Amino acid sequence: MTRVIRHTEARALQGHRAGFASRVVADLVDLGVAWLLGLSVLVAAGVASYLLAGPPFQLPVLPNWLDAGAGGAIAVAYLALTWSATGRSVGKQLAGLRVVDRGGRRLALWRAFIRAVLYVLFPAGLLWVLASRRNASLQDLVVGTAVVYDWAYHPAEEPSDPADQG
Amino acid sequence: MQDSEGALVPLRSGLARPPPVPGDRIDLPLLLAAAVFGLAVEAQRRSLHAAGAVAGRLRWPLRVLARPAGAVARGSMAVAGHHLNLDGWAALGLAEQRRAQAVAVKAARTLIAALVAAVLDEIDLDQVVGRVNPNQIAARVDLDAIVERVDVDAVAARIDVDAIARRIDLDAVVGRVDLDAILARIDVPGLTEQVIDEVDLGEIIRESSSTMAGETVDALRVQGMRVDGLVSRIVDRILLRDGQRQTDPPHGQRQP
Repeated sequence: MTRVIRHTEARALQGHRAGFASRVVADLVDLGVAWLLGLSVLVAAGVASYLLAGPPFQLPVLPNWLDAGAGGAIAVAYLALTWSATGRSVGKQLAGLRVVDRGGRRLALWRAFIRAVLYVLFPAGLLWVLASRRNASLQDLVVGTAVVYDWAYHPAEEPSDPADQG
Repeated sequence: MQDSEGALVPLRSGLARPPPVPGDRIDLPLLLAAAVFGLAVEAQRRSLHAAGAVAGRLRWPLRVLARPAGAVARGSMAVAGHHLNLDGWAALGLAEQRRAQAVAVKAARTLIAALVAAVLDEIDLDQVVGRVNPNQIAARVDLDAIVERVDVDAVAARIDVDAIARRIDLDAVVGRVDLDAILARIDVPGLTEQVIDEVDLGEIIRESSSTMAGETVDALRVQGMRVDGLVSRIVDRILLRDGQRQTDPPHGQRQP
């Protein structure tokens, strides 16, 4: 089921490379989703601890390095899985964006994983979108991806390029 | 010749069979009168026959002679009409003729009435009705045509509904209804469950909320696109760039 796009302006821009503002909005939403995921893991750990060790119920307090590492791992997993699965995380879904490779196809898992790692390690790479004539972030340039406006719902996934597999 | 003879003697066949006399009693004067009339008619018929035969042989001389004779006859008729009371006799004859006609009509009506009564006495109506096939008759009746001719509005207008309603004693009717028994027979909880099952509230809420959410998201996305373009133009101006950004779709990107 493809929803009809009523805005003429939006219809004309479908498939074009997205600009800075939309991507920032999408990434902020994704940051919130990743934070909620991390919190959920902590709550789950707290509940497990309560059930096993008894009261009082409290969230586990992790050392900073583990906190940052676990948080980063959750964010990388979330982004890599969603980008490779549908090309759109929750934030990109909200902003009507999709991550594709240079051929316009869905990302292979390894490409999505590298892109996610680069974003988590160096989020400022997104600022390059402002300067890039092709609206590409540093991560896009390194991994060979692009973010496009794509409001449509594609029920059948496009097959990935065999060269990108594994 | 035979045709004219037939026309001249129209009552011949009627005379051959005299009318029945009530009680089979012979009325002698009537029989004599009828015999005299029949004799006269027969004499007239034979004399006409003979005259016809003579006229057939002497057609041409007679025709020559008839012209002056006709003229003489017409002249003598005019003279006779002038001197004799022909008009009075003619009026008398006409009156007699009318009286005879009236008597004949009266007699014919009496006869028809008697005949119809006798026929009806002979007819066994039950038997006749038994031979009638109502289905066949009904098949031949064009009900549509009849209904078309009925003015339902006019019929309805003639019905006084108020008068009918006034004659109905509603209290008596309601008093006879055992509401408790009716309610006891109605499965209210079951009906309610059926109605709730039929109304898919979840689907309604889903549809309306998804439409609202879709419109909100669309508005957000459009605003994002506009801000994207605005930011790009501002940055390009700061960087003193000429021309548009290359935001064409990547190769192979599916177009909507």
